[in-house]
Amino acid sequence: MRFSSRFVLALVSALGILAGFSTAASAQETIKVGLIVPMTGPIAEIGLLQTEGAKLGVEKINAAGGVLGKKLELVTEDDQATNPGMVLAFSKLINRGDLVAVVASLRSTQMNAISEDSKKAGLPVFFGGTDPTLTTTGNPWFFRARPSDAYSAKVIADYGVNVLKKKKWAIVHSTDAFGTNGSKALIAALKELGVEPVVVQSINNGQTDLTPVVLAVRQSGADIISSYVAYETDVGLLARQFKQFGVTAPWVGSPSVSTTTARNLAGPALYDTYSVADFAAEANPEAKSFSEEFNKKLGRLADYTSGWPYDSVMLLAAAIKAANSTAPDKIRAALLALKDFRGTEGVYNYDKNGEGLRGYNIVQNKEGKIVFNRTITFDK
Amino acid sequence: MSMLPQLLFTGICIGSIYALVSLGFVLLIRAANIVNFAQGQFSMLGAYFMVILFASLGLNYGLSLFLAVVLMAVFGVLFACVSYWPLRDRNPIAVIISTIGAGILLDNTVLAAYGPSPQVLRGLFEGEGFLVGPIYMDSQYLSIIVVTAVLVSLQYLVFEKTTIGKKIQATSQDREMAAILGIPTALIVMGIFAYSAALGGLAGILIAPILYVSVGISALIGVKAFAANIIGGFGSIPGAIFGGLIIGIVETLGAAYISVPYRDAFAFIILIIVLLVRPQGLFGERISEKA
Amino acid sequence: MSTAAAFRQKTITYGLIGFAAVMAIAFIAPSEGYYLNILMHAANYAIAVVGLVIVLGYCGQFALCQAAFLGIGAYCVGLGTGDYGIPFFVALFLGVVITGLVGIFLGLTTLNLNGHYLGMVTIAFQMIVTMVLTNWAGFTHGPDGITKIPRPAGFGGGSTYLGLCLVCLVAVLVFAYVLKASRLGRAMQAVRDNEIAASTCGVDVFFTKTVAFGICAALAGLGGGLFAGAFNYISPDQFSFGESVVLLTMALLGGVESAFGALIGTVLLVVLPEWLRFLRQIYLAVYGGAVIAIMIFMPRGVWGLVSKYLFKTAPIGSAPVKPLPLLSRSATVSDEIVLETIGLAKYFGGLKAVDGVDVKVRKGSVHALIGPNGSGKTTMLNLITGLYVATAGTVKLSGQDITALKPHDRTRLGMCRTFQNIRVFRGLTVLENVIIGAERRGNDVEGIDDVTERALAALDFVGLRDRAHLPVGDLPYGHQRYVEIARALAGSPEILLLDEPAAGLNSTEKTEMAELLQRLKGHGTTIFIIDHDMRLIEQVADHITVLNFGRRIADDDPRSVFTHPEVIAAYLGEPRNETA
Repeated sequence: MRFSSRFVLALVSALGILAGFSTAASAQETIKVGLIVPMTGPIAEIGLLQTEGAKLGVEKINAAGGVLGKKLELVTEDDQATNPGMVLAFSKLINRGDLVAVVASLRSTQMNAISEDSKKAGLPVFFGGTDPTLTTTGNPWFFRARPSDAYSAKVIADYGVNVLKKKKWAIVHSTDAFGTNGSKALIAALKELGVEPVVVQSINNGQTDLTPVVLAVRQSGADIISSYVAYETDVGLLARQFKQFGVTAPWVGSPSVSTTTARNLAGPALYDTYSVADFAAEANPEAKSFSEEFNKKLGRLADYTSGWPYDSVMLLAAAIKAANSTAPDKIRAALLALKDFRGTEGVYNYDKNGEGLRGYNIVQNKEGKIVFNRTITFDK
Repeated sequence: MSMLPQLLFTGICIGSIYALVSLGFVLLIRAANIVNFAQGQFSMLGAYFMVILFASLGLNYGLSLFLAVVLMAVFGVLFACVSYWPLRDRNPIAVIISTIGAGILLDNTVLAAYGPSPQVLRGLFEGEGFLVGPIYMDSQYLSIIVVTAVLVSLQYLVFEKTTIGKKIQATSQDREMAAILGIPTALIVMGIFAYSAALGGLAGILIAPILYVSVGISALIGVKAFAANIIGGFGSIPGAIFGGLIIGIVETLGAAYISVPYRDAFAFIILIIVLLVRPQGLFGERISEKA
Repeated sequence: MSTAAAFRQKTITYGLIGFAAVMAIAFIAPSEGYYLNILMHAANYAIAVVGLVIVLGYCGQFALCQAAFLGIGAYCVGLGTGDYGIPFFVALFLGVVITGLVGIFLGLTTLNLNGHYLGMVTIAFQMIVTMVLTNWAGFTHGPDGITKIPRPAGFGGGSTYLGLCLVCLVAVLVFAYVLKASRLGRAMQAVRDNEIAASTCGVDVFFTKTVAFGICAALAGLGGGLFAGAFNYISPDQFSFGESVVLLTMALLGGVESAFGALIGTVLLVVLPEWLRFLRQIYLAVYGGAVIAIMIFMPRGVWGLVSKYLFKTAPIGSAPVKPLPLLSRSATVSDEIVLETIGLAKYFGGLKAVDGVDVKVRKGSVHALIGPNGSGKTTMLNLITGLYVATAGTVKLSGQDITALKPHDRTRLGMCRTFQNIRVFRGLTVLENVIIGAERRGNDVEGIDDVTERALAALDFVGLRDRAHLPVGDLPYGHQRYVEIARALAGSPEILLLDEPAAGLNSTEKTEMAELLQRLKGHGTTIFIIDHDMRLIEQVADHITVLNFGRRIADDDPRSVFTHPEVIAAYLGEPRNETA
């Protein structure tokens, strides 16, 4: 008992010292940009990649002399990969009072969680969540730096119906926000093309078996499959069981179908499938050079986790330059006025809801390798 | 073509997995009156050991399997020393909570070491499977059914027919009394932890080719195995088997004919019904505490 | 000053201090931003953690679905105010009621079984709630969650709403504090420490556990409802299984025995992530390790450590109290039958532990039940007190058939007992142990002051008054036995059942025990005693029943019994005549 109380005391004092260090302010005046990533918890690795993407952007701007004669500086906070953590992290950043903008989360529910707070805060907030509804709630400060699932759905529908010429659609989606909203958007997009899906199946994340789903798809006689499945293990399981039960219809899925992990897990079962991808290294010159720099610095391939934070920083710098000011409302106006800004994720043209991108890339799995197929974009 | 035969086959396979994991569970309850909430983590860890030995170090499959199971047995003892032994004389709830803590510790240590990306592990046989009439039989599913059947019979024989089994049961009923009678209770409890961990690990290795190797397996399997136990009757070996099979079949049929997203709810609904109608479980005996 | 008045004054003082502190915090706190969020987060969670303290700390039941209850409370407010236009406070109240009822329902399904079941069923419940919140999108808004949840009129500002949360928190803390010292609270702690002894002290174990779990759930509902208003946004993933584990850890870290522990644990775990940032990915691993470490090294949590050094329980005043009423009576043995068993039997599988035994116990007598080891004596006692359900036969108390009654109902009718292997409530003081005996339903005392006086009188009688303030576990074995006797006597029993009171005592202590029993005799209290010590039995017994192999072989006055040939045979181990 004596040991433990002494231990706790030591721990507390050690932590106190650490806390003291971390709050030491830097002397030089900079333009501060908030960055919220998961630094602890199950997806801390993704947080790391996000941070590196944003850092590359900051380094590039600063190497070219900064903006308005000042350097950019990132102020990072941890969202613990949870919604309450996100709310706390965001409010902590806003409390500082010296930020010009915040680069927030990949996860849509986290963005929902801070939507009200961000209206009060009155700063541009860049984010990578792809839930289409995030830009329909009338929040003037939300700026999406990835294309929304409304467009991934449109692209999937367009490719499947117009390019592959398939009419009998099966949709499999996760029951989380990503899967449900994606599937809703896809059904809407198909309806515009005059197609009604023959079967829609939903699954919870992390399944032990998908036989009932696969059999339902087989029985429906679908000639094309589309998926908004969040977990890569579920994608792998689905792919293998499709193969086992002889379902061979072409598959055009959400980005999770073509991630490195999904390809590793499923192996040949995913060969020849298509997926949409917001980030593809060969899609445009910006993505290509970003990928090279990212690879040079970190020795690994860039993907959707790092591209959009990089774009966010570049967009912000461009807007500040154009506005010739760091006042949030001026930055906002400048962002809305930016025309054809070329980023790694595509060509940005913000509308008043904060929607900037209107297209997706189609990629295909050729014997385990990702091959860029085409970019499909839409006007408003 | 009716889906029913295929669904039944799948249900039995999934049920066998739950049964296999819950076997290790039952033994801990019977031998030491311990409810181990980290049983699912044993499976997860076993699968990761296999990934290290087979996929990373490149040992041959049989040797890796053997070493992984031995490592799990050693780990079981270590686990007991940390999360059970210091608390053995306290309220059983203290042990339950400590095993929950151990579960979180294990999950996140593995997560920190391996990251969230799942790993791939090959099955017992290279072949994928074959069609028998309308039923596609996955080779790994078949292996699971066979292994479960063999282990169940072995465990039943050891428990009910041998002296060691009797000693184990005596230890479970009254540790102090058993110690007075000269039964090495500490050794027996440690041995059970080792066996239980090895069994859990083996289950993990067997299901890894189907579910992939990720930290998520722990929760996926552990909770269902636990439910299987209660449905079958706490601490009953036949109960664990039937409980597991019932859950496997009901959730597969329920998913196919009622609702896929609520699939995991079916097991728990059965659980609550069983508790209401027959609280001691299908195979359980009502045990009253001696005053 | 009386105990009750002193306690009331203390409670009011603490409550006022808490209220003042709350007002100060709400006044100082910023009206928005990070610190406000942290404070609201901690306040709402702490309310739910207090619920866990009550169910786990007070009542010893293990549940793992506090986040689900939190979620139900939050959704009641979120959906109620948004989709159904119910005023905030009505929705909040509904949330509390609904979670409370759900808690009671879950309790009813499992709490008559042992601890593991509630744990499992609550995990199952937690998963089902998450599934429903996620999948029943038409009703719950699905995985997106609910945005723009309004705060009640007048509490829209950050400070005022924080004030509201903190006032609720203080109220909940005071409630938990008062509950612990109340009759129900003591009953919960008795259940936690020893269910069997609690039931024979007149505590309805099942009811007590169910109420504790209902309160636990209702408090989570309150915390959840306030949480919804605090952050204006809720979604299913905020109320997941992982969050239940976090809430449990908060309670364990702070200390489950006290509501203040809940507060400390919650604040620490809300703030800790900020400090533990440097651990990055292994943060949660450390978390899990900490849970084990707390269980091993700090079983009573931070508050347990603090209170050990801060508070010492003061000795109870030695002012004289009225002696036990049952000693001031004087009565002789009458022919009236107090306790009667007719053909009482208990079979365990094929083993006939008790096989059709008739016993008649006369009012005011000391009736002994003796027999060799394994002859079924303790089984008899367990049948009489209701711990075992009889296979056949009838038990009558004062002519009333009580065979179907639960142990606590039999205690209400005046049946109090002690145990061979001591069953005291180890988490409580000597006085509290005896108070639980004194406040059995059916006893002729009213109010805590009366009850305390009765308990002190019982301790006077067994000579442990000066130890009244000590934790009962600190007493030597022999004294714990006296605590059990005092506990039974404080209930003014119609019939006192003693299960081997002299077992494990040395010869001096045995003499003392005999003297104590002599002092009890002749006041009209009936005593039914089991013991192996024939000297003791000889000294005190008016009548003896002898059991062997579950059957009655003799039933007479002591002198006749000791010369009964079959009794001698049984004790000398001669082969038994198979008569059946």
